[in-house]
Amino acid sequence: MDMKRCKKSLLLSLSGLLLLAPLSACGGGGTQKNEAAPQAQADADGVKELTLFIDAPWYPVKEWKGPVADKITEKTGVKLKVTVATDDKQLPLMISSGDLPDLVFTNSNIDRMSDSKLSYPWNELIGQYAPDFKIDPTRIAIHTMDDGNFYTVRNSFATQEEMAANKYAIGSDGNPGIAVREDIMQELGNPPIKSTDDFMKVLGMVKSKYPDMVPLIMDKDWLEQYFLQQFGVEALLDGWYEQGGQVDYAIRQPEMLEFFKFMNELYRNGYVLGENFAYTNDQIDDQYATSGKAFAHSHTVSTADTDNIKLEKAGQSYRFTMLPSALSEKTKIVSTGLGFAGTFITKKNADPEASIKFLQYLASDEGKKLTMFGVEGEHWTWNEKGYPDLKYDPSDSDFINKNGIKWWYLYNDGVMEGLQGYVEGTQKTQALMQRKEITEYKPELGLIQTQPDSGEKTTKTKIDEMIKNEKVKIYLAASEEEAVANYEKMIETAESIGLNKLVDWANRIYQDKKTLFE
Amino acid sequence: MNTHAERQHSIDKPKTKYWKLFKKQGTLHLFVGLGLFFLLIFAYTPMFGILMAFKDYSISDGIGGIFTSEWVGFRHFDEFVHDYQFVTIVRNTLILSLLKVLFTFPAPILLAILLNEAKNNGFKRIVQTVSYLPHFISWVVVVGLAFSLLSTDIGMVNKLLMGLGWIDKPLDILTNPNYFWGLAVGSAVWKEVGWWTIIFLASIAGINPSLYEAAQIDGAGRLSRIRHITLPGMKGTIVVVLILTIGSILGGGMVGSNFEQAFLFGNSINNPTSEIVQTYAFKVGLKDGRFSYAAAIDLIQSVISVVLIFSSNYIAKRASGSSLF
Repeated sequence: MDMKRCKKSLLLSLSGLLLLAPLSACGGGGTQKNEAAPQAQADADGVKELTLFIDAPWYPVKEWKGPVADKITEKTGVKLKVTVATDDKQLPLMISSGDLPDLVFTNSNIDRMSDSKLSYPWNELIGQYAPDFKIDPTRIAIHTMDDGNFYTVRNSFATQEEMAANKYAIGSDGNPGIAVREDIMQELGNPPIKSTDDFMKVLGMVKSKYPDMVPLIMDKDWLEQYFLQQFGVEALLDGWYEQGGQVDYAIRQPEMLEFFKFMNELYRNGYVLGENFAYTNDQIDDQYATSGKAFAHSHTVSTADTDNIKLEKAGQSYRFTMLPSALSEKTKIVSTGLGFAGTFITKKNADPEASIKFLQYLASDEGKKLTMFGVEGEHWTWNEKGYPDLKYDPSDSDFINKNGIKWWYLYNDGVMEGLQGYVEGTQKTQALMQRKEITEYKPELGLIQTQPDSGEKTTKTKIDEMIKNEKVKIYLAASEEEAVANYEKMIETAESIGLNKLVDWANRIYQDKKTLFE
Repeated sequence: MNTHAERQHSIDKPKTKYWKLFKKQGTLHLFVGLGLFFLLIFAYTPMFGILMAFKDYSISDGIGGIFTSEWVGFRHFDEFVHDYQFVTIVRNTLILSLLKVLFTFPAPILLAILLNEAKNNGFKRIVQTVSYLPHFISWVVVVGLAFSLLSTDIGMVNKLLMGLGWIDKPLDILTNPNYFWGLAVGSAVWKEVGWWTIIFLASIAGINPSLYEAAQIDGAGRLSRIRHITLPGMKGTIVVVLILTIGSILGGGMVGSNFEQAFLFGNSINNPTSEIVQTYAFKVGLKDGRFSYAAAIDLIQSVISVVLIFSSNYIAKRASGSSLF
């Protein structure tokens, strides 16, 4: 009898537990009543740990380790527990579930995170905890939202004046480039490549002489940029261009059709693989290039240097060489960039004071150099000419990633990043210097930014999503006529979604904001 | 003449009876109660989120925003119906779902009958095990396997076909929009046929063996026995599974996985056939943070599913006498 009662009570208590479990889960989302700013607990060494989410699945460093990270911790008393996104939907999911870490580093969700319900405004935190943290007015103006606050400052940004004043700041890896096989070029008699037509001819020669080879392999994120610039298109497919003081969407720039015809011809001639446009893995192109299966490799300005390091390590005899950044006079490079990514101090942050001070250190000259070049003395020494003499090859991604150089640039600028790219004699430096010579700066175009949850954002997102789907139909069209028809259909569809209204809005914003740079 | 006390006793009697019965089955009721409580918390309570479909909700307003945000009526429904991809994605969803029902529904019935007819027990067990194991492989792994098998460059299938001289150039099965539906249905059949065969084999096991013996004595052949004994014996199970399948048809029916397949096999090239309502709702809802719009899209789909389940149940009741409810 007692045994039975005992069993019954055990069953009841288990059931009770089961009943309470979901309820306790439901009750977890309550708001914090305590209005005082929270503070993270420091460990025995006085180091506070903050969590950081990096909204970039491709990010090469995944852990807070290496000499640069250690030095930053030593200087700031902060270490980071890092999570790198598994895909581009993870941050939106985290926002929707309210499960945000202390810090978020993002480039694609800057407008969404610039929200007082999700993030602390930097201006408030600076006023409260770091009044000596000075940020120049242009950067503040660029990042100030409609509510009068700025929630981040993007890295990788420099004004035209800053770039002009720093001769050796030549730009970063984040610029397009194409590398070709040096040995095969020699075998073909080094035919000149002074236009996109010349390049097409060379690919044709490769195809007929080496039928098993893929003439051109492209990184999934660098399919179009190089060619767009060669055709004189002033922006990417989802960007704005300006002519005669009027702004329009880049897909309507007259040169765009020529670009599409060229891409379609590449496919129809069999110079690129159809499935190249469907790659979801950014390693496939590298494998083609370094396994001898591709002649040309479209990626960034450092492609040749990076591929050659891998080839050298693998004991391969052939090497890559960069195509010129500008093939002809038609080439146009317009920098509308406001920078790459920014760090947000979320409302779930355990220690906003430590966070803003941490960013203040990264924004200091010492912090910027430490992040971008490495530990002074160990990784670089300052050359009086005005650039760092690096003791490593900045294109050696294994070394860079292992030592945590560059990638902790949660706050930095385009000048420092440009200086890190300067290494006398490298192909990357040469490519970047060519680019710098012809780059035109129009950052005011970058200020045409849609606000979260606005009608313009919805329209723009829909148009961009449509372009992503429709552009592939143009690339893979069976004939030039079909490609042109698909292009025209894409423009018509964009207009039916509301492109004209969006362009009117963009022109209004442009007229309002361009004075910031005057 | 009944006294007041007697009348009271006669009223209390059934109550006491039910209470006694309830107490006797207490443990069972507790389990049922837990199930109902689970449904209440996780299935019914979140339904208030449907409100979102009629409001201009922003995720930064939190849960409370579902109630406080602006009421916009059918604006999101209207937007979806007028989307340039509306016809394509609804067509893709319907065709993929119908094809799946068409091929994945009869396949396990057929396999169950074939296995039932096989005399060698060892062979039967091996086939059963081999056919149901893929059920436990996640779609992510299946897509990885498909890439290794079907890629134009490294895919074993293309290499084999090229080696045999059957094709001149590799088949772009993973990217060509014309292959997507075949790829999705084929992989779903491969992955789930064995699993569903178990249910149909169980229903065959419930058929009285003496019926087969009698039929054999009467001179009925194998096909006649299948037609007149096995299939009628499975009828109840077939109808219930069919109704459930049709109820969830837009999710891929009994094998489900429309979303997983469209999301994982889908890419920018096969998008014209691989984009379905669920992937579209996921992209615009979660990626772009438009929860109201996504809720409206899913609500349309849910309404269609409810209509389908009631219609199929009604038709099944009229046609076969068997039904789910």
